[in-house]
Amino acid sequence: MDYTRELPVVEGRPHPAELDATIAAPLDQFPTRTWWIVLAVTLSFLSFGAFCVGMTFYKGLGMWGINQPVAWGFDIVNFVFWVGIGNAGTLISAILFLLRQRWRTGIARFAEAMTIFAVICAGMFPILHLGRPWLPVYLMPYPNQNALWVNFTSPLVWDVFAVSTYLTVSFVFWYVGLIPDFATLRDRTSSSIKKTIYSVLSLGWRHSNRHWQHYERAYLILAGFATPLVLSVHTIVSFDFAVSVLPGWHTTIFPPYFVAGAVFSGFAMVQNVLIFVRQAFNLKHIITLDHLEKMNKVMIVTGSMVGYAYAMEFFIAWYSGSQFESFVFLNRALGPYAWAYWTMVSCNVIFPQLFWFKKIRRSIPFMFVIGILVNVGMWFERFVIIVTSLSRDFLPSSWGHYIPTMYDIGILLGSFGLFFTLILIFVRILPVVSISEVKAVVEGGQPSHH
Amino acid sequence: MNEQHLFSITALFETPDEIIHAAQETQKAGYTHFDVNTPYPVHGMDRSMGLKPTRLGVFSLVFGIIGAVSAVALMTWVTSSDYPLVIGGKPFWSWPAFVPIAFEVTVLLVAVLSVVTMIVLYFKFPNISHPLHDTPYMKRVSSDRFGISIEADDPAFNEAAVREFLKKIGGKDIAAVHYDLEDLNHGQRMFDPKFIGVLALTALLVSGATYIVFNQLLFMEPFSWMMTQSKLKAQRPSELFKDGIGMRPPVEGTVARGFLPYPFKGKPDEAGKNLVNPLLSTRDVLDRGKSKFLTYCSPCHGNFARGDSRLRGQFPNPPTLHSDKVRNWPDGNIYHVITEGQNVMPSYASQISRDDRWAIVRYIRVLQRAQNAKESDLK
Amino acid sequence: MKKELPGQVARYGWILLIVGVVIAAAGYLIDPRRMAFDNIIGFLFLTSIGIGSIFLVALEYIAGAVWSVPMRRVNEFLGALTLLIPLLAIPIFLNLHDLYHWTHAEAVAADKILQGKSSYLNVNFFVLRFIIIFVLWSLFYFLFTRNSSRQDITKDQSLTTRNIKLSAVFMPVFAITLTLTAVDWAMSLEPHWYSTMYGVYYFSGTILAALAAATYIIVKMYESGYFPQLQRDHFYSLGALLFAFINFWAYIAFSQFLLIWYADLPEETFWFISRWKNGWEYVSILLIIVHFAVPYFALLTQDSKMDTKRLKLMAIWILFAHMLDLYWLVMPTYSKTVPFSWNEFGFPILLVGLIMVVFSFKVKRNNIVPIGDPKLERGLSFRL
Repeated sequence: MDYTRELPVVEGRPHPAELDATIAAPLDQFPTRTWWIVLAVTLSFLSFGAFCVGMTFYKGLGMWGINQPVAWGFDIVNFVFWVGIGNAGTLISAILFLLRQRWRTGIARFAEAMTIFAVICAGMFPILHLGRPWLPVYLMPYPNQNALWVNFTSPLVWDVFAVSTYLTVSFVFWYVGLIPDFATLRDRTSSSIKKTIYSVLSLGWRHSNRHWQHYERAYLILAGFATPLVLSVHTIVSFDFAVSVLPGWHTTIFPPYFVAGAVFSGFAMVQNVLIFVRQAFNLKHIITLDHLEKMNKVMIVTGSMVGYAYAMEFFIAWYSGSQFESFVFLNRALGPYAWAYWTMVSCNVIFPQLFWFKKIRRSIPFMFVIGILVNVGMWFERFVIIVTSLSRDFLPSSWGHYIPTMYDIGILLGSFGLFFTLILIFVRILPVVSISEVKAVVEGGQPSHH
Repeated sequence: MNEQHLFSITALFETPDEIIHAAQETQKAGYTHFDVNTPYPVHGMDRSMGLKPTRLGVFSLVFGIIGAVSAVALMTWVTSSDYPLVIGGKPFWSWPAFVPIAFEVTVLLVAVLSVVTMIVLYFKFPNISHPLHDTPYMKRVSSDRFGISIEADDPAFNEAAVREFLKKIGGKDIAAVHYDLEDLNHGQRMFDPKFIGVLALTALLVSGATYIVFNQLLFMEPFSWMMTQSKLKAQRPSELFKDGIGMRPPVEGTVARGFLPYPFKGKPDEAGKNLVNPLLSTRDVLDRGKSKFLTYCSPCHGNFARGDSRLRGQFPNPPTLHSDKVRNWPDGNIYHVITEGQNVMPSYASQISRDDRWAIVRYIRVLQRAQNAKESDLK
Repeated sequence: MKKELPGQVARYGWILLIVGVVIAAAGYLIDPRRMAFDNIIGFLFLTSIGIGSIFLVALEYIAGAVWSVPMRRVNEFLGALTLLIPLLAIPIFLNLHDLYHWTHAEAVAADKILQGKSSYLNVNFFVLRFIIIFVLWSLFYFLFTRNSSRQDITKDQSLTTRNIKLSAVFMPVFAITLTLTAVDWAMSLEPHWYSTMYGVYYFSGTILAALAAATYIIVKMYESGYFPQLQRDHFYSLGALLFAFINFWAYIAFSQFLLIWYADLPEETFWFISRWKNGWEYVSILLIIVHFAVPYFALLTQDSKMDTKRLKLMAIWILFAHMLDLYWLVMPTYSKTVPFSWNEFGFPILLVGLIMVVFSFKVKRNNIVPIGDPKLERGLSFRL
């Protein structure tokens, strides 16, 4: 390992015109058979999910397994899960930008898109679990004649603001990044329909440096604000639980713990999908093994933070002397949902430790499997937090069990279907890598004396 | 026929070092109306072109402050003034709970409005018919070349001199770019009829969709199911009962919770014998008795219970309450009369609660003593 | 490259150190209980800078950072302060009974909750934990600095690899030991109270203190010609880190507060309530202003982060803010009202002197710049 040399971000020093061709290739070609087959699979998941949603709308929330005492089940577990997945995209896009980590350029566009799709999936669940999901506007403080307002002091309302702001700002950030690329596509396409579309979407961008100057400042401001935003979104989601008095929920470490967990699961998902994308679209020299390895390192760091939080919760549960606190944690490990708990611990704490070994960090099959396990583990973490704490709280006479129904599971599968369908469509109509940003970090792309 | 009106002379360069040098030379040569076009931002270009730093950050700061202030102001007004509610036992104005929303609104306004400012103020609105579009120059700077465009409206512009200059600093593919006069005569882009048309159509579609969804769709099945429920509500008819009325009177002998029926119906003497005034003659009780007396009793009995009320003539006057008979009555008798009524006087049981009746009795005793005061009372 | 700090640094350092010791000794004679509390504040402050600086060294290695390499020695020198922590711990050990309620045997015997914790909160285990933690920290200090110094001579790149691996081991150990330090010395002052965020809270202050101390020293030395090759870009990175961690501290502090305020459980809220009565409310407000509002706006713009004068001022300001933070954490257990007098100046003066003395000592014996580090060239030519 030679520390005196800087590793090139893009391998091979491709010419800018080559980059145009490589990255824009999927947009010009008709999709392959593989793409259609995968789309068929995701669409079938999506359809099944849509059917389950339809039944839920028609017959009511009784179709789900939620009841007293477990009034929040798959719906909120999935919500937190998807918001978490979305966090990684903004982290790669915004935080790594602020930290001047140039290796983000190959993966930022895709990661941001993934954020938007994940937040769309997440945002569905608070609406679906309403008694009257066709009235989501009631969640917003719109002026009316009856002085009716939302409860601004409730974390559920904070969620509404946080998730919608997150979706909007992520979309704006993503779109701003796309403007120069739309211009490049506009100037190289021969189809007149595409040309019109790209012209409109590029806002007439002509790569003028007078514009780049303001553009770069806007990008910095967006990155600078998206960073605290992404931290705040999952923090506010954690507040849903932590502001209560329920043991296992009310604990002050939840905000950073949730954020670390979100980044953890999000990076696992990004890494998993990128493995396929770089293979399918010949982007291995732009999305390199070094980048994947760096993502795995981020996973060790955030996974360790999650492990620290587990340890801290356990310690304080004992230290507090509160029998309710101690019981919750013993119940998690030994009670009726122990299988979920141990799945969570092994997937989140034990398996990711393999990433300490460089060989495993750089092995595609291994990292793929560990990525999947991390996502499974993080889903179960939310399940454990929500369901076990609710099923057995203070009064044993109120204890109850939660069994998800077919519709609960169907909607979860449907959300995965939606997520992957959107990704499949995205990779065919938009450049997966940011063309202009990658050109800027190729060796020789910047002036020598700067 | 399109007239050829010169917009600028352009030149292409191959490396970032070349374009930086070219920009510096152009600026040194005194040209001010020129631009550099690169497929990605080149470090140090702003300084090389002599550009002043961007002020976009100031706008963002202003938007941020507006966002924070307006969010806190709205929440303050709602929770302290418009509809205060006690939530979680906390004070109406609980600032810690305002922080998350204030933060989110701040970020939202900064992000969205900064981008809008960038597009409106700095890009001067999207312009898809700029002279540089659809030129070979634009095709290259969009892909793999760096370009300079020296505009014809620069005060120092001279076509031959500019071409010479660009060749000197190493520019390739030196080409002229012309205006399309047809585009020039469109006038203000903002009031372009096509644009207005699109805006109007969008407005129509959005308002139409909103109306249909919120005023029609929401009242259709299944969305209306919760509004039209078959449960029995007040004043609804019902087929379950012979008379078809949904509201039923309570069953004979029903007693309200915490309520014992009056045991001395029609038995004034029993009432007098067995009932004892549970209230003491405290200031509060007497004030209450006085207020109730003046409200309910004085219209007939008069303000001092002398039976000389302002009903004079319109309604038979009741006897004075200062007669020996009434003065010698136990409290229970007076209570009984209020409860049951007597002769022309109706029952006041439904208007005056039991405790209030006892308070009135106390007050009547005060009046009786006042109207028949003895020397010893003054001491 | 200059070899030594001007002699006055060490001289003034000794003067301050002796003055501080005199005040502390006087305090211990006149009002030992109060001085013991001030001692805890000093102990936590020294720990922050000492182990926080080692954390920054480890962070540079494990993140592969390049911009901080030329200045890493400053953190290494400050890390030496870790070895002196026992000097501040010993007086505390001699006064445990005055400080910690759980050392009162009769109180514990009457209190079921304290009995439940007594397997952790007892004097023997408390001291043992400190010893183990101190040994671990010293070990890491020696290993990091030995590899780093050796590299000056051998220029061996495998030493960097070794330090990277060492950092990977250090991080989880640091997390646990720092948390336990915060729990043992500060949180257990109120043995009935608990917060899972406490370790993270102390960490956020620690990293700020270490960054601020390093920033001040780096800027001061740059102005005196010790780091001639530093550019605006390096200072921007320091300023940006300070800004980022100011926000992080505020986030952690507010989260901890909001959750306890919102749930309103008396067994948790009493800790904050005692910091909102009898004059402590002014200290709380002052803390928000001093530790968040002022540094936030002072370091908000890009230009301010590169301005060396601003960085120096804010570095000192943040060090003061961290001291105030520790005072706010610790002192309400000593007194319901706000105690502020000459006693409180003893340890701060002592510590400033100690830092100056130790730093000049280290500068004399080591290279100020890690001349053997393979990333040094890249670090010096670092541009944003």
